[in-house]
Amino acid sequence: MRKSVTLLILGIFAVFLLSLRLGDQPIPYSQIIGVLTGDPDAAVAAQLIVLEVRLPRAILALLVGMALAVAGAIIQTVMRNPLAEPGLLGINSGGALAALILIVYFRNESAHLVPWAAFAGAFLMAAAIYGFSWRSGASPVRIILIGIGLGSMAGAGASFISAFGEIAVVQQAQVWLAGSVYNAGWDKVQVLAIWLVLPFVLTMAASRELDLLSFSEMSARSLGQRVEIARAVLILLCTMISGAAVAAAGLIGFIGLISPHVARRFVGHSHHRMVPVAALVGGFLVLTADLIGRTVMAPAQLPAGIVTAILGAPFFAFLLWERRYVRS
Amino acid sequence: MSVRDPENAAPLTARNLTTGYARKNILEHLDFEILHGCFTVLIGPNGCGKSTLLRALCNLMPVRDGGVLLDGRQISEFSTKEIARRVGVLAQGPVAPEGLTVEDLARQGRYPHRSLFGQWSDEDETACRTALELTALTHLKDRAIDSLSGGQRQRAWIAMTLAQQTGILLLDEPTTYLDLAHQIEVLDLVQRLVREQQTTVVAVLHDINQAARYADHIVAMKDGRIAVQGSPEEVINKETIEAVFGVRVAIVACPVDGAPLAVPLTGRQK
Repeated sequence: MRKSVTLLILGIFAVFLLSLRLGDQPIPYSQIIGVLTGDPDAAVAAQLIVLEVRLPRAILALLVGMALAVAGAIIQTVMRNPLAEPGLLGINSGGALAALILIVYFRNESAHLVPWAAFAGAFLMAAAIYGFSWRSGASPVRIILIGIGLGSMAGAGASFISAFGEIAVVQQAQVWLAGSVYNAGWDKVQVLAIWLVLPFVLTMAASRELDLLSFSEMSARSLGQRVEIARAVLILLCTMISGAAVAAAGLIGFIGLISPHVARRFVGHSHHRMVPVAALVGGFLVLTADLIGRTVMAPAQLPAGIVTAILGAPFFAFLLWERRYVRS
Repeated sequence: MSVRDPENAAPLTARNLTTGYARKNILEHLDFEILHGCFTVLIGPNGCGKSTLLRALCNLMPVRDGGVLLDGRQISEFSTKEIARRVGVLAQGPVAPEGLTVEDLARQGRYPHRSLFGQWSDEDETACRTALELTALTHLKDRAIDSLSGGQRQRAWIAMTLAQQTGILLLDEPTTYLDLAHQIEVLDLVQRLVREQQTTVVAVLHDINQAARYADHIVAMKDGRIAVQGSPEEVINKETIEAVFGVRVAIVACPVDGAPLAVPLTGRQK
């Protein structure tokens, strides 16, 4: 367990350094270290590229990955379904739709406003899913079915806007929607970090509630948990985290699905260990996906969301394949 | 059994209790007292309200009329955690998340004893260790629940409710789906808890003869009512079994301990 976590951290460190180094203009490690340590003799170009372009982009990718993973970990437990993911449930598409409306119809791409719109959209979506599936208690299966339904409606809404909105604006929004950290800047990093701190802390504080929620409702209630309240609060946290991630980087799929699975494999089920490790896995994956996306076809840039989908689908198939003998 | 003696007062009592699901009442105006320090077994045909009664006794059912008293107070006045510190429940066929270990399961039993930010205490550790020892699972504590045998798995769940350190345990069909050896394993454990730990246990069992052998007190239910209750000798007789289960039986004395055993008549014997 300790070994796998150490490897993970080393992996993040390595990919992070590579992300600072690789690009249209490769920068040698000696210069990167010089820039990062504030050496006044470092080349101006290197300073500009590392500090203003690659560093915020790498940090943003890391944060987005962490957010997606934590949101996925929460929702998988709350729904007691290993296939649940904020993307699958339509929470992300709700957030994306709201952000898209803001961008296309109100011509507002402010790093401060978009997260609010995305959060509002994600929250409305989660509330609608929860509300529609409530029948003296909300069963996980009904939540998922209704989530998928509402999610495709939001997706249809987004397609509608893309089809009939003004082309220039839509095209810009499309890149973001496909899941990209291409226009990362310190302002985005700052906003995302601020959005994530509180929900991350609260999620960790609620790790015991999460542990219990993964049991059947009767077991959780008989141990004294107020299941409906715990579930509602955690879904709210999940929408805050998802909304912030969507606002920063659009729709990046699979991370929320895969990271918790990988983390469980590393450190088991206990959420106080599983959630932070899932965050590291998610950060590592998005950072890697972005690095691959912007180097493999350079100078063209593949959005990280497309890379995660290309790499994620086989990985998911592998997960299922490997578990084929596990009793259902 | 005087109510004025707090040591022996019925710790859990249903008074004029009406409860059910959706628009259907399962139990109507039911009165019931759990005997302190005894092993009470609920028997009755499927759908007679045994599980509903068990759930109502720990506030897991909406109460339509009447109520449940825990230590003499309305159970609805307690917080959910307070109830869980006094009454442990094992639901029917509980499911653990895949890969969860025995020790992790037992640790969940400490939930009602911990505050939101409370750290894992020595007391929690001791309670878990004791629970695993009582259920003879210490050597299996790092195994995943889904890799255990049925009997071990059921014992692991009982360990969780033991870690809860409640004076009362409600077990809903703890032996169903287990083979005979594992049924006996679980019932022996329950009997030891009652005798050695003075735990008050109420269990739903399907096997009348096991009920007769293990129970101090048997409650036979039919159609949401208590048909008969009393010692095994008082409850297990031809008339009651036929009235409650609609099955004709012959009663013989158990060759081991003399408990009344019901042998169903089959085919032409009727």
